[in-house]
Amino acid sequence: MIESFLNFLQNTGAAALFAYGGMEAIKTVLMIIIACVLLYLAIVKKFEPLLLLPIAFGMLLTNLPVLKDSPAVMMHTEWFTDTQYMIDGHFIDVGKIAREGGLLDLLYLGVKLGIYPPLIFVGIGAMTDFGPLIANPKSILLGAAAQFGVFFTFVGALVLSALVPSIMFGVKEAASIGIIGGADGPTAIYVTKTLAPALLPAIAVAAYSYMALIPVIQPPIMKLMTRKKDRMIVMEQLRPVSKTEKILFPIIVTIVVALIIPDAVSLVGCLMLGNLLKESGVADRLAKTVQNELMNIVTIFLGVTVGATATASSFLSPQTIGIVVLGLVAFCFSTAGGLLLGNIMCWLTKGKVNPLIGSAGVSAVPMAARVSQQVGQKENPSNFLLMHAMGPNVAGVIGSAVAAGVFLAMFSNI
Amino acid sequence: MYSDALLTGKDLPLSEALAMGGETTVIGLAIVFGVLVILMIVLMLFKVIFYKDPKKQQKSADTAKPTTAESVTTAAETAAVVSDKSDEIPEDELVAVLMAAVASSLNTSTYNLRIKSYRRVDGRQNAWNRAGLTETINNRY
Repeated sequence: MIESFLNFLQNTGAAALFAYGGMEAIKTVLMIIIACVLLYLAIVKKFEPLLLLPIAFGMLLTNLPVLKDSPAVMMHTEWFTDTQYMIDGHFIDVGKIAREGGLLDLLYLGVKLGIYPPLIFVGIGAMTDFGPLIANPKSILLGAAAQFGVFFTFVGALVLSALVPSIMFGVKEAASIGIIGGADGPTAIYVTKTLAPALLPAIAVAAYSYMALIPVIQPPIMKLMTRKKDRMIVMEQLRPVSKTEKILFPIIVTIVVALIIPDAVSLVGCLMLGNLLKESGVADRLAKTVQNELMNIVTIFLGVTVGATATASSFLSPQTIGIVVLGLVAFCFSTAGGLLLGNIMCWLTKGKVNPLIGSAGVSAVPMAARVSQQVGQKENPSNFLLMHAMGPNVAGVIGSAVAAGVFLAMFSNI
Repeated sequence: MYSDALLTGKDLPLSEALAMGGETTVIGLAIVFGVLVILMIVLMLFKVIFYKDPKKQQKSADTAKPTTAESVTTAAETAAVVSDKSDEIPEDELVAVLMAAVASSLNTSTYNLRIKSYRRVDGRQNAWNRAGLTETINNRY
């Protein structure tokens, strides 16, 4: 009896923590503290709690001290990132994962195989109203201009890698970091899981944290880059959009995107599927399911498993600091890109376009549009930019999905 | 196609980083703009095909001779409905309220005031609606 009790003691988490010893034990404790800080940010500060809370808890779960090779290990990040566990050093060993994997390993397959992000896009599509965009086609360009930060950060990551010896980002890593500037969580995850799976936790945490900080990050840039006179511009009311247009739009977008950049179709196509479910009006039940139950379920799986990839060895590195800094650069320059084109459009139309709607071109629906509205209203209390800002905002979702497609087309097969 | 330094980021020369970055930025932004410009053109076609400007419609209706008596009566009816809606508050009540508000803010009696005319300063929304909307938007963080 005493023997079995000792055996039990040896298998406790506390014993495992002592067995780790030294540096590894400190790292484990540090990761648990980071997870708790993120939980605090999600629960008390309400930073995108629907995502950050599962991510932070996944991070907690994966860093709990457990003896190596114990069946209690829930997640084996190395099976997905380390080539020595892969078949031919290239493909993840799904058979091994199914036989020996823990709960989170199995759920993580949904991320690794690229299932969750498109499913979330179906839900987002069903919640999106493309009406403001259809009514004001020019605003779609602002969604393209706001992808500037994505590419600027791609350059920035390569330059950082060239200048700082301890940080090494190749083109694939740089692309994954750049896409943070798309301000779109599922897109960032979709690109990163393909191009740089080892960076997934850091990029996901950076993307979602900065999205939550958009009301803090954007207004100073907006004030700096626009004139007070232009910020006060009241825009013309949008024309009404017929149901036919709203139904045709998702179908045409899917076809156009597929013809030009097929790698973006799994994201854009799913977005448009969700939108068509809503706009067609004949699949109400499905539209409700994808934007509520399906989306919530997938969000839980996605958040927990992405968080669970944040093991001490992958997260506590100089690269993570680089990603956090570059992520902020990406957000700032995407905002600036949108505002720049906003100013140009304001000038070209002789003051009919309020440049503030440009910053909504970074996706982050609908937060970025709300920020445009609020900054505009501070200058002119009777001004309502919200609907005008929704156009660039939803265009930004399409824009960042296309940018993601560009990166995937260029770098996924090298 | 890509050098080892570009793939791993190890010992990456700055010149190569900038060249690669610049090239990708130009190609990438060109494709993103290309796709969205095509979509913009499609949406502009939408407007041409599906949207009829009510103002122009009205103009053409005005210039064209009324073909049937029926269409004239329906137009008159809709006009009546619209004017009903915009004057939801009876006019004398509205004048009384305005008068009271002005009197109270000037700290004088309604007998000393005469309202000659009034008009709404801006837009279709009244102040309460606007305040409500603003509050909703601001609360949703």
